[in-house]
Amino acid sequence: MRAKNSFHIIPTPKTVSISITGKCNLKCKYCFYANEMEGLKDLSTEQWLNFFKKLKDLNVMDVSLTGGEAFIRPDLFELIDGIISNNMRYNILSNGTLINENILKKFEIGKRRLRLDYIQISIDGSCAEIHNKSRPNSFDRAINGLKLLKENNFPLAVRTTINKHNLCDLENIAKLLLEDIGVSSFGNNESMPIGSGCRNEKEISLSSKEKLKAMRIIKKLLQKYPGRLNAQAGPQAKLKMYAEMEHAKKTGEKSKTWQMGYLTACGCVFSKIDILHDGTIVPCCMLPGLKLGNILNDDLKEIWQNNKIIWDIRNRRKIPMKEVPGCEDCEWAPYCNGSCPGMAHQLTGDFNRANPEDCYRKFKKETGGIDAL
Amino acid sequence: MRTKDENLIEYIKNPDVVLREEDIDGALLFNPDTNQIKVLNTTGLFIWKLCEKKHNIANIIKALKNSFDQVPDDKAAEQVKSFINEMKESGFIGIIKDQK
Repeated sequence: MRAKNSFHIIPTPKTVSISITGKCNLKCKYCFYANEMEGLKDLSTEQWLNFFKKLKDLNVMDVSLTGGEAFIRPDLFELIDGIISNNMRYNILSNGTLINENILKKFEIGKRRLRLDYIQISIDGSCAEIHNKSRPNSFDRAINGLKLLKENNFPLAVRTTINKHNLCDLENIAKLLLEDIGVSSFGNNESMPIGSGCRNEKEISLSSKEKLKAMRIIKKLLQKYPGRLNAQAGPQAKLKMYAEMEHAKKTGEKSKTWQMGYLTACGCVFSKIDILHDGTIVPCCMLPGLKLGNILNDDLKEIWQNNKIIWDIRNRRKIPMKEVPGCEDCEWAPYCNGSCPGMAHQLTGDFNRANPEDCYRKFKKETGGIDAL
Repeated sequence: MRTKDENLIEYIKNPDVVLREEDIDGALLFNPDTNQIKVLNTTGLFIWKLCEKKHNIANIIKALKNSFDQVPDDKAAEQVKSFINEMKESGFIGIIKDQK
């Protein structure tokens, strides 16, 4: 049963994020998907192609191909052609290490290049020594893949996951990416305690003081490279969020871009849904344990429109922060949005909590807050 | 004479375009080749659905008048032509036939 005063939602998702394989040639220290990669079996070519036909019937606009490592699948281009023939666009999230000139030539066939939004490559250091600490034995191949894409004018994105190993290298990374290689911008987030990031938390996760340091560096980089760093999560995103919270508390002027005082973070379940490599349907890749069904047996539209769990996540937007366990007495509750439900679920067992990793009360207590910047 | 020429041209939707009826008041079209989105009101949606099959401008205006109240005689043709032209130029619909 759905909650009484549900939101209006679009009838089908616009975007579907698909982990097309659980296989990967790397073992990154913070891989959020590491637990799912063990034990689940990849769907076959035919099963994915049948699924893409169903996505056409749902008028899905674009598909994000992730892994594992997407380029490890020998049938990747057959899958891409299946996406194209069913009237969708696509992007690929990759570690970049398997990209070579032969692979790039395959994109020139048919509409593969035309329908490609971007290929995202992860770069975690300005040199092998640093990058390889979180993404072992992969720097040269990843940089080679990135340079090939750039030289051949592919639409590309770069993601840097900030962690203990590369914090002091951020300025060099920015120089490498934005000046030496010449990408237009790069995204950043931070290592989170989920998957292998949980097992390696002490080695790689940032402490509050390190997060503050990351914010200080990013602030400087944003002045040097205006508009060329972006983030949906991690220090840069939090810097913006915390600044708005401080401003709202001081002036009473609330954010115009997000609703303060309610568990409103994350719009994913309003436009996107995720599929694991065995076909399991989940609300988000950060909530891989919340299984909503499987594409082989269940109707994705029915799940999107009526599944109780997905509606419970949507309806968290109606929960005032003052009613969230652990936040009742927080002076920041009227200005907070609780942050990522996936991390809240991972760390507290309940997505209707605030994500402890992003708690400003804790951060301010341990660092002095962003006023210390 | 211009009207006669225009009626020889028939329009049909681009089969790759995705229609998403997200609201009771309209819909959006998505062209996956160009990544363009076009928001349609109820009239635009009606015309788009007509273009499932080939139609000329006169047919489209006639169908609009049959289905909607208060379609102004003087402005309807001009507005439909403008809409169709915009849809054609952005690749959402194409010309299937010119019998000249």
